[in-house]
Amino acid sequence: MQALVMLSFYSFAAASIAYVLSAICYVVYAVGRVRVRRTSLATGNGPAIVGTSASLEPTGPAIGQFATMLAWFGVVFQGISLVLRTLAAGHPPLSNMYEFSSTFVFLVGLVYLLFERHYGVRQLGAIVLPVTVAMIAYVWSLPAYLREVNPLIPALQNNPMMTFHVSMAILAYSTFAVAFAAAVLYLVKVRWNVSWLPSAALLDDLGFRAVTIGFPAMALVLILGSVWAYQAWGTYWSWDPKEAAALFTWLIYGVYLHTRTLRGWRGSRSAIILLVGFAAVVFTYYGNYVFGGLHAYGGV
Amino acid sequence: MIGDVQPSARPAPVARQKSGFEWVVDRIWRFFCSVRVGIYEIIFLALLVLIGALRNSSVPQALADAVPATKPLVERWYAWDVYHSAIFMVTMTLLAIGIAIGGIINRAPGLWAAIAHPTVTTTHGFLRGADVAANATAAAAPADLAETVAGAFRDRRYRVLTAQVGEETHLYADRNRYGKLGTVPLHVALILVLVGGIVGARWGFRDTDVMVPEGSVREIGHDTGLSVRLNRFDEDYNEDGSAKTYRSNLTVLKDGQPVRDAAITVNHPLTLGDVVFYQSGFGQAVTLDIKDAQGNVLYQDALPLGEFRSKTNPDAPAALLDLPAAGISLTVIAPDDNPPNQPELDTLHLASGQMYLMVRPLGPDSPLKDPVAQVIDQGDATTFGNATVTFERERRFTVLQVARNPAIPIFLASALMLTGGILMVFAFPHRRIRGIIGPNGAGGSRLALAPMAKRDWAGQRAFEEMVDRLEADLGLPMERSARAESA
Ligand code: HEM
Repeated sequence: MQALVMLSFYSFAAASIAYVLSAICYVVYAVGRVRVRRTSLATGNGPAIVGTSASLEPTGPAIGQFATMLAWFGVVFQGISLVLRTLAAGHPPLSNMYEFSSTFVFLVGLVYLLFERHYGVRQLGAIVLPVTVAMIAYVWSLPAYLREVNPLIPALQNNPMMTFHVSMAILAYSTFAVAFAAAVLYLVKVRWNVSWLPSAALLDDLGFRAVTIGFPAMALVLILGSVWAYQAWGTYWSWDPKEAAALFTWLIYGVYLHTRTLRGWRGSRSAIILLVGFAAVVFTYYGNYVFGGLHAYGGV
Repeated sequence: MIGDVQPSARPAPVARQKSGFEWVVDRIWRFFCSVRVGIYEIIFLALLVLIGALRNSSVPQALADAVPATKPLVERWYAWDVYHSAIFMVTMTLLAIGIAIGGIINRAPGLWAAIAHPTVTTTHGFLRGADVAANATAAAAPADLAETVAGAFRDRRYRVLTAQVGEETHLYADRNRYGKLGTVPLHVALILVLVGGIVGARWGFRDTDVMVPEGSVREIGHDTGLSVRLNRFDEDYNEDGSAKTYRSNLTVLKDGQPVRDAAITVNHPLTLGDVVFYQSGFGQAVTLDIKDAQGNVLYQDALPLGEFRSKTNPDAPAALLDLPAAGISLTVIAPDDNPPNQPELDTLHLASGQMYLMVRPLGPDSPLKDPVAQVIDQGDATTFGNATVTFERERRFTVLQVARNPAIPIFLASALMLTGGILMVFAFPHRRIRGIIGPNGAGGSRLALAPMAKRDWAGQRAFEEMVDRLEADLGLPMERSARAESA
């Protein structure tokens, strides 16, 4: 049992390395190569005017393929880590901030890679992977005792509702992270007209597609959360701050959808709502640090 | 967009045929139909929710520390119970009406018309101006080509409608036409959530601290006729002292008759009709028997310890009991329940099975002048003024939460409708393609197709896929056109 927990942790460490390297490759791939040119103008008395100019140019596809491969390594190692931990603990790895964040690291990588495949674009990784690496850094910063497998407190014990609720939350946050990446790239694309980024229309649609998965997932988070709360505490909705933050997040994406479908918003305005939405996601995720409340024990 | 109006404060122009009343009704109706107003309402609600969430955090405090001028504002922020405020209720009400009118009633006929009777005819201007389009010429006569194209669409599970306009056949093909209907259950569900909230608050109850000592019976009240008896309480600890499981073995009585025996734990409540009993906590109680000088019973029950703590030793659970009839107030302190922690505070040094009793005078007619204190052993009795207190034994008590929420079925229905509706809308996007098939002036025919997918990237890709398939299915070379992207 202890051995499984250790193996799971080593596998997470391997995944961390793969993710970090992958993030670097994605960034290099998306940003392009900085090319510095020296120019010298010859005059009658030898070279008199010398200047340098720098410009960005696309990198070759190899580094992008490499980035994708590393991301897959990360996802696979992280998946192994989660399976081992589940075996050791006898419950899904969703019960404290270490487990929850580890599952997030796995799912956000997987969701991203599926979007990458579906849309055939890689540059999004330059945003999603660094976000994932930030999450990995956070997991490493957590106190070590959380890595141990502990028995669950009664309110968390063996409840399928909790498993659904929490895994839906991770799915929602992962897709919102992808939407966020699409929004950032969209804004970069139209602001600086970077030719080798995917087309603005594709980025816009990709963000929307991600939300069409994240929005219902988030609705399920709210619903399952209230069913679970009703089972455990006898109250389906108590305006617990984390509940309120999740509702806030959901409403922001509701605004995004309405402005889009009914007011025909596209592009920059939609992208900005996605940035606000993701800020709300981060706020909800780390809400445990800001708030107390019923969700506190799931945290640190 | 139709139905978008700004609320206006100006008086009605009475010159037109509409009466002032009709004008007002019309204005109100259009206000609630407005999608823009609806969006503002959602944003406003979101802000209120955020303000409420932050009240429980140190964020407002940080703001006050950074900008001292905001201090009075921050104080009011912390004091404001957002979710029960009038503004919040009004926002929810406006939103509910807006959803009902703007999201459902006003929208449904148009939604249905687009499904059942879409406009089939189109214009060459639409096809030329579309973001993406496809054109082809064929040797076949227009009517024959129209039939083959329609057949090819149908093979791809499109519904095809055609109309003859002069020599041309206009074609409308769509799939997933019912998907958009998902917005109806979706919005109905949102209203149901609000209705459920009102029903639950109006007709439900929730008592959070129902303490039942082992062997005792407690009334539930609220016209339920129910009472509950704790037969036995079991608990189980982890090595580190945290509670692993705890379980109450209950008997529920209706009008004094036992109707159900059940054991409940934290995640496994007991449901009886629409009343639910939850395990929420437990503690230690002391059974006291208090009689006056004539032998009349003043108190005979288990008094839960731990609702209070000794002022000098926070590890010692305590209880308070006022007996106005006897003119005394009783304080009971139990032995320190965590001896290793701050042992110097435990000045009473009670052994297990002992209680510290202190009696204070209560009211002007109290038989006592000064407080009296005494340590008493289990089974012993002692007299203070007129009252004789017997410490019979210690017992455990369970803390239950008892709730009735008649809105639960409403919430379940709305949960299903909400997720079902959202999935319907997003998993089955409505794809629509228009086309005109006419003579090409050389004995053959000309085909032009374009999707109704303005600024809809995915819709345009779906169209292009369909064009590829038509090309393959019909062996008809298609000439594709796309407008340059405008970012
Ligand atoms: C005053 C309030 C509201 C009004 C007037 C309103 C109106 C509408 C209308 C007219 C549609 C389009 C239906 C169609 O395309 O045929 C729609 C779609 C939708 N509404 Fe609302 N709605 C309101 C509130 C809400 C709220 C609070 C939510 C949840 C956060 C919500 C979620 C949605 C969703 C998810 C869609 C589907 C969007 C899509 O097709 O992309 N609505 N709403």
